[in-house]
Amino acid sequence: MVTLPHDDIYQLVREPIDMAAQIRLVRAPEGGAIVTFDGFVRNQSHNRATLYLDYEAYESMALAKMQEIGLQIHEKYRIHRVAMVHRLGRLEIGETSVFIAVSAPHRAAAFDACRFAIDTLKRTVPIWKKEYFEDGAVWADGELPPAPAATPRAKPAS
Amino acid sequence: MIARGKAQLLAPSRTAGYNSPVPPVSQTIRVGVLFFGRLKDVAGHAADSAEVADAATIEQLFALYAARYPELAKYRSSVVASRNQEFAAWDTPLRSGDEVAFLPPVSGG
Repeated sequence: MVTLPHDDIYQLVREPIDMAAQIRLVRAPEGGAIVTFDGFVRNQSHNRATLYLDYEAYESMALAKMQEIGLQIHEKYRIHRVAMVHRLGRLEIGETSVFIAVSAPHRAAAFDACRFAIDTLKRTVPIWKKEYFEDGAVWADGELPPAPAATPRAKPAS
Repeated sequence: MIARGKAQLLAPSRTAGYNSPVPPVSQTIRVGVLFFGRLKDVAGHAADSAEVADAATIEQLFALYAARYPELAKYRSSVVASRNQEFAAWDTPLRSGDEVAFLPPVSGG
């Protein structure tokens, strides 16, 4: 069982994400490579011009799920440190909504871990975005997280 | 409505042995309920608390709200539930003080 390194970072924030600061925090002498993912607000969705986005989260669960992803990538890949930050609230076009930085001794593990982290975040972390357009707003289509199947249970005595 | 008789039938026995105190026969519990994304819009609020039969399932809790807000029922197939911040199966029995959330497809990132 791997435990999360205490110098990893998992955060939900309401201010702009300081990407350079996150990179500095994962940049350790043991490393040799950092791979980052910067997800930012697109100016259109399904050919409609987006005005801005509003993100909300089930915050306690979202943080727990982000840490779970951190544990998973530490187990799966030979990496050193992780910074994973998601912003909530209103975001304008071009602003960063999610930022992930992974440091590792060698680049392959850093690329693989960063890719796994963002893909898993988008599938399993309870965060939602509402897209605002000139003529209204919609909740973005998303992915349904995989949920456990029915609980096996002993038959009640009859 | 929560089917109380059925929920009690499914409740795991809390009597550990012959000397255990007799449990209350009919008991209700209070659970916290959270709605997110479009479900919050449909239910009209983000947080609620509900009284259900002891060991009622998450499915029964959802049915309680679907009866109150009929539009919710339309979303049943595209909702996952969590119990105490962990994804949970619909037949998970509830305990007093549990926090249940109904989660539409996630769209973070």
